[in-house]
Amino acid sequence: MRAATFQGKGDIDVRQMPDPAIVNPRDCIIEVTSTAICGSDLHLYDGVIPGVEKDDILGHEFMGRVVATGKESTLEVGQRVVVPFTIFCGQCFHCSEQRYSNCDNSCPVEDQEVAEKAFGHPMAGMFGYSHLTGGFAGGQAEYVRIPYSDVVPLVVPEDIPDERLLFLSDILPTGWMAALNAEIAPGDTIAVWGCGPVGLFTILSAFQQKAGRVIAIDGVQGRLDMAEQLGAEPVNFHETDILDALKQMTGGIGPDAVIDAVGMEAHGFAIDNIADRIKQTVGIGQDRAHVLRQAIMACRKGGRVSVPGVYGGKADLFPLGAMMQKGLQLRTGQTHVRRFTAELLDLIERDVIDPSFLISHRLPLDEAATGYRNFRDHQDEWIKVVMHP
Amino acid sequence: MTIANWARYGLAATLATAAGGVLIYRRKPGINHDAAPARSARHRRRFGDYRVTGATVTIRATPEQIRACWQGNAQLWPALEYLPFPEGNQPDLLLPPSELRDMASRPLLTRIVAEREDELIAWRSEGEGHADMHGRLRFRDNGAKGTAVEVIMAVRPHHFASAWKTEAMMAEALELGLLRDLRRMRMLIETGEIATARMRPDAA
Repeated sequence: MRAATFQGKGDIDVRQMPDPAIVNPRDCIIEVTSTAICGSDLHLYDGVIPGVEKDDILGHEFMGRVVATGKESTLEVGQRVVVPFTIFCGQCFHCSEQRYSNCDNSCPVEDQEVAEKAFGHPMAGMFGYSHLTGGFAGGQAEYVRIPYSDVVPLVVPEDIPDERLLFLSDILPTGWMAALNAEIAPGDTIAVWGCGPVGLFTILSAFQQKAGRVIAIDGVQGRLDMAEQLGAEPVNFHETDILDALKQMTGGIGPDAVIDAVGMEAHGFAIDNIADRIKQTVGIGQDRAHVLRQAIMACRKGGRVSVPGVYGGKADLFPLGAMMQKGLQLRTGQTHVRRFTAELLDLIERDVIDPSFLISHRLPLDEAATGYRNFRDHQDEWIKVVMHP
Repeated sequence: MTIANWARYGLAATLATAAGGVLIYRRKPGINHDAAPARSARHRRRFGDYRVTGATVTIRATPEQIRACWQGNAQLWPALEYLPFPEGNQPDLLLPPSELRDMASRPLLTRIVAEREDELIAWRSEGEGHADMHGRLRFRDNGAKGTAVEVIMAVRPHHFASAWKTEAMMAEALELGLLRDLRRMRMLIETGEIATARMRPDAA
């Protein structure tokens, strides 16, 4: 089969790889019909996530049709499924509490130790996202092996096109969980940093969860325009002092909740961010946490901080004093995708939301390298890339 | 004071300091009593000549189910690295798993020496193996989370047992291997399979 493979920092190549087959009884194999490049794939592309190896197959947003099943799978050949990016067993203590991205069993034992050293505990398995999360082959390919297929994939209706369903695999539930973590009360003012795909779905979700106002912060005008179309109030950090603006816009109180949808690769010319970038370049720093610092400083006293943006290491100058003195609550985590998919599918089926507005470019899988390069380098136009194998 | 005196007194002072240091070091209380397992002590993870190591996981199953998996699941046994497992015909005889089997020409056979239902299984090596080994599996109720399963191994390598790595390396490998073994056992019990990212059954 053909698959988009990692060949080194900034180097993606579509290569011929072995077809997957059933390995464990609960597996199934799907033929991918649509797959997307995620903003967090760019962390792999940029080489800031450890544990990515040459020839690893990337991609964790995908859907397709079942073509083979293991003897314990409950799926049938021909069924159409969306596959969450987090792999989970459905039976461990964490899965029993629907914390699927904390699953104890889905990451192969031999791949658990690095994450355990880095984070204190091993992580769940994920598709196409480094050997920290199991080294599972991803969905930017013609076929994918899906473990625990009796619980992981979501069977979807035949009459809704791929493009409206595909984002149930990651970014739509991620935006939804980010808004839930902000514990929005009706009428609340929410500030969202980052108007990439996750940020835009966070804005959409915040309004669905009864936010009164959403203030969207980014430096790319095209993305701010999309946020405005969703009803948010755009603020461009290149032109505006964000902390001052948020105080002015909220009557001096600050946003009730702040959401960091940027993560470990913050942009901009703030002093702390430049220092982070230098430290990262020379190998003495890890995450560039400028946005998280700013969000914490901006949040009102007693407010909530939600972090859907991906962090993978340690952050210097974390304003723990502001967290404590203002009595903030911080909630974060990889998305427990499957907890939210039924509710979100219902919203899509009832035409309450149509996630396909996000798609800016459609490419064949063979042009994956072009997709990655432009998604990273031309963020004003390349909002979301969907590929069809 | 002459140079000779300086040398004499300096040497005496050095010796006194060293002796005092040794006394202070020896008088330092080893491990204060607290609730932590002894094997998690920062220093002296020993019991006499034995190096003690172990691992703990929680499994959503009863002690009886966990014991049944360890004793009867043929899928588990080839996956084990350091945890001995029962030999089919003699239930009290434990066979060495892969890592221990490969370390020496003489297999390290162990035999169950104590059992308390739903609580403990203890074993001890027998014969002239390359090490003297005691081990135990202990089950403890962990509320709604399941059963906490702890494995502890106390190992005393025989002198000049060439097949062993250095003792420290061995202890580190043993601890990691036991944790892996317990995690594989948990996977089998909770999910019915051992997680793998392989794309094909025949892949490496």
